[in-house]
Amino acid sequence: MKNPDAKTGSPLIELRGVNKEFLSPGGKVKVLNNINLSIKQGEFVTIVGKSGSGKSTLLSMITGIDRPSSGAVLVDDTRVHLLPEGPLAAWRGRNIGVVFQFFQLLPTLTVAENIMLPMDFAGVYPGHRRRERALALLGQVGIIEHADKLPSSLSGGQQQRAAIARALANDPPLVVADEPTGNLDGHTAAEVIKLFSNLVSSGKTVVIVTHERDVTTFADRTIVLADGSIESELKGARALRNYGAREAARA
Amino acid sequence: MLSPRWRKLLGDLCESRQRTAAMVISLAIGIFGVGTMLDSYSILTREIAGNYQAANPASATLELANVDDALAADVRKFPGIADAEVRATILSRIRVGDDWTRLLLFVINDFNDLRLNTFKRESGAWPPPRGTMLVERSSVKVLKAGIGAAPYIKTPHGIPREVPVSGLVHDTSLAPGVQEQTVCGYITRETLGLLGEKPVLDELRILVADHPFDRTSVDTTARSVANRLQTTGQVVRQIQVPQPGRHPHQGQMTGVLFLFISFSLMALVLSAILVATLVSAMLARQIREIGVMKAVGATTGQIATMYLAMVALLGAVATASAMPLALLAARTFSDAIANLLNFTIMSYHVPLWVLAVQIASGILVPVAMAAFPIMRGARVTVREAINDYGLKSDAFGQHRLDSALARLQGISRAYLLALRNMFRRRGRLILSLVLLAAGGGMFMSALNVRDAWKVYIGRIYADRHYDVQIKLNEPEREDALRSALQKVRGVAKIETWGYSETTLAQPGLVDIVRTYPDGGHGSFAIVGAPPETTMVMFRVLAGRWLQPGDGYAVVLNQMARSLIPDVKINDTVLLSLNGRATKWRVEGFVEEVGFPAAAYVSEKAYAQAAGLEGRAQMIRVTSSAADQAERVEIIRSIEQTLATAGVSVREGLPLAVLRTAMVEHVSVLVNTLIATAVLLGLIGVLGLASTMSMNVIERTRELGVMRAIGATPETVMRIILSEGVFVGALSWVFAVITSVPLSLLVGRIVGMLSFKVPLALAMSPVAMLLWFVVVLVISAAACAYPALRASRLTVREALAYG
Repeated sequence: MKNPDAKTGSPLIELRGVNKEFLSPGGKVKVLNNINLSIKQGEFVTIVGKSGSGKSTLLSMITGIDRPSSGAVLVDDTRVHLLPEGPLAAWRGRNIGVVFQFFQLLPTLTVAENIMLPMDFAGVYPGHRRRERALALLGQVGIIEHADKLPSSLSGGQQQRAAIARALANDPPLVVADEPTGNLDGHTAAEVIKLFSNLVSSGKTVVIVTHERDVTTFADRTIVLADGSIESELKGARALRNYGAREAARA
Repeated sequence: MLSPRWRKLLGDLCESRQRTAAMVISLAIGIFGVGTMLDSYSILTREIAGNYQAANPASATLELANVDDALAADVRKFPGIADAEVRATILSRIRVGDDWTRLLLFVINDFNDLRLNTFKRESGAWPPPRGTMLVERSSVKVLKAGIGAAPYIKTPHGIPREVPVSGLVHDTSLAPGVQEQTVCGYITRETLGLLGEKPVLDELRILVADHPFDRTSVDTTARSVANRLQTTGQVVRQIQVPQPGRHPHQGQMTGVLFLFISFSLMALVLSAILVATLVSAMLARQIREIGVMKAVGATTGQIATMYLAMVALLGAVATASAMPLALLAARTFSDAIANLLNFTIMSYHVPLWVLAVQIASGILVPVAMAAFPIMRGARVTVREAINDYGLKSDAFGQHRLDSALARLQGISRAYLLALRNMFRRRGRLILSLVLLAAGGGMFMSALNVRDAWKVYIGRIYADRHYDVQIKLNEPEREDALRSALQKVRGVAKIETWGYSETTLAQPGLVDIVRTYPDGGHGSFAIVGAPPETTMVMFRVLAGRWLQPGDGYAVVLNQMARSLIPDVKINDTVLLSLNGRATKWRVEGFVEEVGFPAAAYVSEKAYAQAAGLEGRAQMIRVTSSAADQAERVEIIRSIEQTLATAGVSVREGLPLAVLRTAMVEHVSVLVNTLIATAVLLGLIGVLGLASTMSMNVIERTRELGVMRAIGATPETVMRIILSEGVFVGALSWVFAVITSVPLSLLVGRIVGMLSFKVPLALAMSPVAMLLWFVVVLVISAAACAYPALRASRLTVREALAYG
């Protein structure tokens, strides 16, 4: 069940006039162009666009993985773009859960240990409670029986569930995911999206970069990027239809 | 202009400068070690032989009653004789401070006509004015005085007299005085007379013309001269034939240098293995490029040649950098050894073959080590190469050890991660462990051997329960000696022993001893011991020690045993006693620390065989001293008492002096072993730094993930450093294990070269603790750069890697 009240509050994420340029052998390449974006707490937002449109870079701005060339990034009133590397990492560990396309579980840690690792870094939960919490999260994503296995013995879907559990380790208000279903079959992808949807229901803010149309059907809002700029913002099921129709027309 | 394929290789080398530098530096260290030791070997073996030969050492010395110039001139005309000279050697005593020290006085017939065992003026007078003496330069440390000093000298038949030192000489045919705790002096015949001795010379030194370096030939010629002299009425008491053409310490020096060459070769091989591993990692990253090259027509041979040529190029660069440094180091090392053994380096020239060996080993050893991984990489098919996705997954979890490590709990996740990461690339882990363990093993072995030597020297006190041994110039009545010494305050126990130089007798032939002119090296004595003695308790190797009632029974120490090939218990040996052959049955073999060859017989049998009943030539005294200072005072009182009683002392040897002489022998060896360990340690550091760099590069994305989920740069750095420190700690275990056989091997070589006894294993706790600290520090230092680099990666760069 979504929390409508949460979405009426002040924005959790705010990007103001964000520009990002990269240097390449051919000169400067502008990847993001004057992005102004606001995402409220409890929103489920998907970011779509063609390859090279700047989706992943936009997500990196929000997580602080990358910094804007100009402009400001505020997450829960924290000026992310100004934080030095050390405090930024600590802040990210407490406030953002990150899910990657290729799961990126650490191969030498068991599934449960992978989930306890962010807790170790952040020190949010006392040591004796971390495993208990890791198991609870694994129960939530439906793979508790694999807690003490190494990632190499899990399927792709199971690894992605574990990665989602890891993202939730420190109970962050914001979860971001970069193509979380890009490496999964249709059935598994649907189950993973459902997990994200449930997170939103429990009050988390979720931002997902995706190519998958199915994902946007669950979103409150879909942001369409083209050539580094926000081309349009679509809401709910309408978002899916309009985006799908336009992509089909272009094809 | 370079063809594209070679440009590619150069580009690869330039692209990864750190890896290229690591390969060149590690090879250079290995070549530096080998070069230093080979250069030193060529310089030292040539120079020690050259110095010794330059002194024109006598092939043999015949001891007669009286020799003069005319006799020497006659002998020079004998067939097979190249030269002859007359001399005398008087074992005397010299006062150093308040104590008497051993003095070898060489009485020279004509200082301006030195023919054999020549020596050179260093400073001061030449020849020594009447009543003065010249002193060998290496004796100055023992004498603690130089030109101008006037120490007291006491010859066997003279009274103490001041003899000023008028000059210094360099005698390359002698072992250095400081090692033997002996002063060597040179006087004229006239001065000898002033010292209370008859001014006669009793040594005829000869140089054999034919085959002078062949012992049999020298023996035969010397005996033939002796026989001829005997027909003219001369009495030849003994012939001394030292090892022909070899400095007394040459064998030990060569043996030790071989040991170091072996260790430095090991360092080179290890550095080459490191290069092979780095090349292997490089090939793994370039597998697609190899596939593309094959797709456009390259053969396996062409690909392999490219990479082998690259390794050869690295080896050549490393060799070119290391060889000049090795030459410089060899000069310093050679100087230290020459100084220790008292010879002068006349030329630092290194023969071409030595340089050629360095160049060949510097290039071929790494090429040989890298050949297998290169051939394996070059054989990859185009299909395999194109299908390769770059770096292989670490696939942690597929091995039993992984599962065991996964069950490990109870430490922080960061350290757990470091610990498990350590085992992901097992080949690299093994390489790092081998390199670090080799350095650690060598380091610990050096200190272990030092400790083993100390334990060995400590046995001087454990096996010998007396404070001073006094040899007399003439046999003296036992009861008189006892009665005199019992009055000395502090004397607790006295034993009188028989003592005489001996050799293996050959009936009908003049005795030949293998002693050098210093009277110490190569000497062999027959010792009449009280069977129930409590003053010596030697370790019995076989058979038994002497028993009361023993007749002509003999117990040989290990040095004497080595002189008689295949001797067994119950064998009969013929030993010369005062020029007569005496027959003894071997009853046992014992291990004796710090003394030359000795055959122990019962004092009664000795007295009977020597015709010296009731008389003794050696006294051993135990004091009741509580400390060394008191002991020294008691020994002085004993000397004084004997002098008052008119007993002429040939040599007084407190055990402490013997110990000092032995300590001097091993210090250079230990220091050089530690230097070798430093070289191996440096290769280990480079190895660990290189493998950790490769690991960090391969795990870049993982590091990015860690940063993305909250790890600070400091945390990342700590994880990498921890991994390195864990490798270091694990290598310590292997280093301790490695040090056991290595210490035994080095201890065996050192012990056998010195006293024909392998040193017992002594594991030094200090060495273990010290290396543990050192290896942790150097491991952390080796990982500092990769760790810093990993911590500085931005999350975006790290996640985008691969």
